[in-house]
Amino acid sequence: MPYGPAAPPGGAFDPPAGGDWHRVSPRLRWHRRITAVLTALPVALIGAWWVHQGGGALGVVLWLALVAVSCAMAWIVAELAYRSLGYAERAEDLLVTSGVFVRRLVVVPYGRMQLVDVTAGLLERWMGIATVRLHTAAAATDARIPGLPAAEAAQLRDRLAQKGEARSMGL
Amino acid sequence: MNGPYPPPGGPVPGGPPPHGYQPPGYGPAMPPGPPAAPPGYGQMPPARFSAGVHRLHPATALLRAFVFWLIYFVLLGFPLLLTRRGEELVLFAPEAVRRFALVSIPVTVAAVVVGIWGWLALRFWVAGDELVVETGLLRKRRRLIPLSRVQAIDVVRPLMTRLTGLAEVRVEAAGGDRAEICLRYLGRGAAQRLRAELLALAAGLPGHTPEAPEQPFWRVPFGTLFLSLISRLPVAAAGVLFLTALMASLSLLEPGFFSVAVTTLLGLIGSVIAPLVTYGGFTVAISPDGLRLRHGLLETRMQTVPPGRVQAVAIVEPVLWRQRGWARVEATVAGYAGERQALSSVLLPVAPRQVAVALVAQVFPGANVDAVPLLPASAKGLSLDRFAAAGTDDVVFVTRRGLLCRRTEVIAHARAQSVRLTSGPLQRLFGLGTVHVDAPSGPVRVAAIDRDLPEARLIVESTAERARRARAHTRSDPTRWAR
Repeated sequence: MPYGPAAPPGGAFDPPAGGDWHRVSPRLRWHRRITAVLTALPVALIGAWWVHQGGGALGVVLWLALVAVSCAMAWIVAELAYRSLGYAERAEDLLVTSGVFVRRLVVVPYGRMQLVDVTAGLLERWMGIATVRLHTAAAATDARIPGLPAAEAAQLRDRLAQKGEARSMGL
Repeated sequence: MNGPYPPPGGPVPGGPPPHGYQPPGYGPAMPPGPPAAPPGYGQMPPARFSAGVHRLHPATALLRAFVFWLIYFVLLGFPLLLTRRGEELVLFAPEAVRRFALVSIPVTVAAVVVGIWGWLALRFWVAGDELVVETGLLRKRRRLIPLSRVQAIDVVRPLMTRLTGLAEVRVEAAGGDRAEICLRYLGRGAAQRLRAELLALAAGLPGHTPEAPEQPFWRVPFGTLFLSLISRLPVAAAGVLFLTALMASLSLLEPGFFSVAVTTLLGLIGSVIAPLVTYGGFTVAISPDGLRLRHGLLETRMQTVPPGRVQAVAIVEPVLWRQRGWARVEATVAGYAGERQALSSVLLPVAPRQVAVALVAQVFPGANVDAVPLLPASAKGLSLDRFAAAGTDDVVFVTRRGLLCRRTEVIAHARAQSVRLTSGPLQRLFGLGTVHVDAPSGPVRVAAIDRDLPEARLIVESTAERARRARAHTRSDPTRWAR
């Protein structure tokens, strides 16, 4: 089952022929959820205090309900985003697909890669995942693969750098 | 006659310019090529920049000292000359002059020292495959520009230096906002020679190679440029607004209308006079080391874009230009970033459409934009743009969009950085997607909007495949184009 409910008609975002998407670590979902909760908490508290100053208890309840609903949304979106994310290495290029609201598919030829970097924030490091990002001369390319297990990320980076080196042709 | 250069690629493309637009100066009356002997740079023998260490023109030191002194005079010197006597201010009172001299003499010496210091501090030379620019006498800072990465070389003569015969050389290298080198100022002849030598070295020829011969391609007559600038919808609307506001203010004597008139007049000056001055006398010439563009009424600018440096091109046809068959050509050149991108992205400010298409064929050899079959976008989408279409052949990917101002955007497969398919929520409702063929950031964005999703995926796959083949075909770097 390559796609969850977000699969578009016609399978335009299907994996390339004769292969399947490489999936990222399921821990990505939890990374997103924890991030969402960590942002929601201060927003909920400060907002509640602020509403309490101006209005009554009803306002506070409504505000907290609103934050809770947003959190629940983020919870579901984290799952969908995880399911929509995938990458595939072909002979000459790398395919990355992602996106819940706006679906994306990026094809980056190895020869066009200017640099590959691996980043991991504090939370990501703690969870043992990392983000691999490909840069070409075009800023619009924006090929990111978040949520790769750290070891896999390093391997992917090395593999990409090697393939890029072999096919590099300047601008 | 062409020396070590391969013969230029065929005759002037597009054949004879279309009828009715034969500009008066087309053909033999082109602006002269490089001046045979630089007159303003007498005492020095023609320097070879590929050997030895070089400095800027000595007059740069004086110029810098003068600017330094001028700032001093405005901020401090002039107030020193004034003395207050009772209620009135007196200029050149004896004690004020003494005071002024006491401060000014050390400042003048300092200005001269600063000027000479700055002149001594900047040295440049060519070492093997790189242009080296070293600044600083005590703490040295060295910048290396690989000549194979040079994206464009501009020779600019700002208004101030037009009188002194100095010119500025800008070397653009790929890699962001700081990746340019400004050598200001060199003698006019020296600037031309430096440009020619750097281009020859970048092409893989010895530095003493004479400047590549050039072939005139097009010249924009002043009248056409002016007409094209005023026949644009925003400008026409502003003109109507200006006239109405002027009439209203004259008949009603209402100051509010008058201020509206003044504001629109300023806007009109900005959108008509400024481009007129920038692009006045625009000529395009073709030479083995790339496109040569010359333009500018006050600040003259000579741009050289070597082959393979143009990443993507757009042919722009505003609605009022279309009946006259005019078009503008804009391009993304990787070296230019930020403000310079906006200044340097125009390859041709206005020309008949056939000429624009022929210029695109020069930039992307083998491309014929008008021969590429364009398939209209799906009618299912919400877009009102019924001109949206896209098509491809083995050389280029072409998209067209714009209801009023039509843009035909072209990218060569060999230059595509990546291919993207995006589909927003509304588009997904109708089963549509947009295919982008990415180029470095610039004025051109190639996007085939509102394609049926299965078709979009096919476009992505076929474009990726064509790009792979195009890259394999031009295996060697586009650098070293003469080898």
